[in-house]
Amino acid sequence: MPKLVVKHLKKNFGDLEVLKDLNFEVEEGEVVCIIGPSGSGKSTFLRCMNRLEEITGGSVIIDGVDLADPSQNINKVRENIGMVFQHFNLFPHLTVLENIMLAPDELKDETSEETRKTALSLLETVGLSDKADVYPKSLSGGQKQRVAIARALAMKPDIMLFDEPTSALDPEMVGDVLEVMKKLAREGMTMLVVTHEMGFAKEVADHVVFMDEGYIMEEGTPDQVFNHPQNERTKDFLEKVLV
Amino acid sequence: MRKGKRIHSFILYSILFALFMGLGLPTVVQASESNAKKGTAQNPYIITTDITYPPFEFQNDKKEYVGIDADIINAIAKDQGFEIEFRPLNFSAGLQALEANQVDGMISAMSINPEREESFDFSDPYYEAGTVMAISENNKEIQSYDDLNGKTVAVKVGTTGATFVEKLQEKYSIKVNQFEDSATMYQDVVSGHSDAVFDDYPVMAYAIQQGLKLQLPLEPEKGDVYGFAVNKGQNAELLDMFNTGLANIKEDGTYDNIIDQYLDSDEKGSQNGFFALIQKNWRELLNGLSKTLLLTVISFAIALLFGVVLGFFAASPYAILRGISRLYVTIMRGLPMLVLAFFIYFSIPELLNIKLTAFIAGVATLTLSSAAYISEQVRGGIEAVSGGQLEAARSLGMSYGKSMVRVVIPQAIKIMIPSLINQFVITLKDTSILSIIGIVELTQAGKIIIARTYSSGSMWIIIGLIYILIITFLTWLSTFIERKMINA
Ligand SMILES: Nc1ncnc2c1ncn2[C@@H]1O[C@H](COP(=O)(O)OP(=O)(O)OP(=O)(O)O)[C@@H](O)[C@H]1O
Ligand SMILES: [Mg+2]
Repeated sequence: MPKLVVKHLKKNFGDLEVLKDLNFEVEEGEVVCIIGPSGSGKSTFLRCMNRLEEITGGSVIIDGVDLADPSQNINKVRENIGMVFQHFNLFPHLTVLENIMLAPDELKDETSEETRKTALSLLETVGLSDKADVYPKSLSGGQKQRVAIARALAMKPDIMLFDEPTSALDPEMVGDVLEVMKKLAREGMTMLVVTHEMGFAKEVADHVVFMDEGYIMEEGTPDQVFNHPQNERTKDFLEKVLV
Repeated sequence: MRKGKRIHSFILYSILFALFMGLGLPTVVQASESNAKKGTAQNPYIITTDITYPPFEFQNDKKEYVGIDADIINAIAKDQGFEIEFRPLNFSAGLQALEANQVDGMISAMSINPEREESFDFSDPYYEAGTVMAISENNKEIQSYDDLNGKTVAVKVGTTGATFVEKLQEKYSIKVNQFEDSATMYQDVVSGHSDAVFDDYPVMAYAIQQGLKLQLPLEPEKGDVYGFAVNKGQNAELLDMFNTGLANIKEDGTYDNIIDQYLDSDEKGSQNGFFALIQKNWRELLNGLSKTLLLTVISFAIALLFGVVLGFFAASPYAILRGISRLYVTIMRGLPMLVLAFFIYFSIPELLNIKLTAFIAGVATLTLSSAAYISEQVRGGIEAVSGGQLEAARSLGMSYGKSMVRVVIPQAIKIMIPSLINQFVITLKDTSILSIIGIVELTQAGKIIIARTYSSGSMWIIIGLIYILIITFLTWLSTFIERKMINA
């Protein structure tokens, strides 16, 4: 059974139809990159995957559990789905280590010593062991995003959602963050990544999805989508971004 | 005199009177049980006078009741060999106490008139008080009523003086400025806003004797006569002794001495200087200040609780809670605090048939009003912590409550502290509005001192300085604490 199944997903903001009948599957351990023009609904789609947006219609089934079902305890579901935001959203009143430990401390049945150990080893994974006790405001953008990834991983999720994780970064910072994401991918994490980094998509993605006007216009392997696009819109879009 | 008591002071007095009845009844009942002869040291005549109405009755520095009324009844008691005990009450409460036989007699600058003669027996008149005109000390222009043509005149609402000026207006073109209390009205002439003022002769003569910079160019008009009163058909013996005694003290010169002591303007008291005012009145000012601080602290503490709840309502995801909060804030924003204070102090007791002390009404007023502003600041603080913070916490699996407590609120508090300090200062300043329902906080303490000393000019400077000092100090203190908290 696929890790994640999206069926007839619809999302409206008032009268505005943003997502119109999306169907989509992700296998365990797969890395899916979502590309498409601005306003096409990529972020909204990703935010439906952990119900940060209420789902208007259809279903999002993760490990057999339908998120669209209002009786689901969404907090429990979210513990297994990490999310990384374009603007990091670190907690400025907490140190780096506290940022990472907050949710496990609140939600997991482990001693705070264990939580701390996990947090420190995650910091090592993202290459920021020396920053444990500083506050986020003293970090660069790239460092902040790596802390945000560590924070999401601290709940030990088995799916990670990334919404343009490198768009707000200076170019020289992008590489470090992408490295961390590649490492995660290699370790077998199931990942949904909204990105403008076509190089990353080509190299890492198992699957590329092209969205436009609330529809999935085209999907396939990176080779299919990037080198042999079938849809006119995909061709247009790729021409513009790959100049 | 005292014909047009303002409506709200009537209600205020009624409440005070009701309270007094509750407190005073048991002792009175006890007193009438003892059969000892009236007017002895064990069983003195209970005489009521107004609480403060200079020069007729007021407390001197030693907290003794003195004044024309007080001195006359004391002199008569001495002359006739009976004992009295003062029970100071507001004028209208005093009337009701006399009618209810709670006191034996009343001497309170009370005009003898036919309506009152239906309820009370009056002594021979002991004083005639007429309306008189006063002008500024260095005004040489106004020497007769004719000179008032085209001038501005200050009067007190509902007094005989006001009625007299209305009659003058039939002949002359006079502009009238209306006032609620004598001290402010006099100050209007001293500072040159009005050209002349009409008030009862003894009150004005006494003020001038105390150093008020006015003069009386004309003799008083013929006016009301004052009498000592006992309840209809009661205490005839006391009334007889009063009349005899009055005749005696008039004959032996005691009476004239008493009147001159308070009204002879040749012997001017020194106008109170700035420091003399502080020195003589610091205790009263300090009491007023403590009341101000007490009101502020209690109200602000309750308002903080209430405001935080409403602020959370306003920032909550539930439309109904947001609606409740918005409605509350809209009402409180639209309501001047003065109106709110009157509503709570006068309307609520009437509508719900309950009693409210002025202090409780004052705390309620400040609390309700501050809570609205605090809730707006709480909402602003919560909303200023970007939606991204809440989403980040929620995406980790934390519930709304946990996310608020651990992530949003700690940040919101830091944002809110400066505006909460500001709201505290505003609440402190707003306490001055409560002087209107008779709470003796700092502003009202100032008004009372002015009523006694006629020193508006210096007194308002002193009061203003106290406010500035205390607020500056508190602001400094809270900034200090804030910095400590943020560093911690
Ligand atoms: N909370 C919201 N309320 C109303 N409309 C919204 C809301 N969020 C998004 N939209 C609209 O939905 C559409 C899709 O937005 P979305 O953010 O998903 O696009 P996107 O593909 O992520 O674009 P970008 O590449 O610029 O991030 C846009 O037209 C946007 O204006
Ligand atoms: Mg987006």
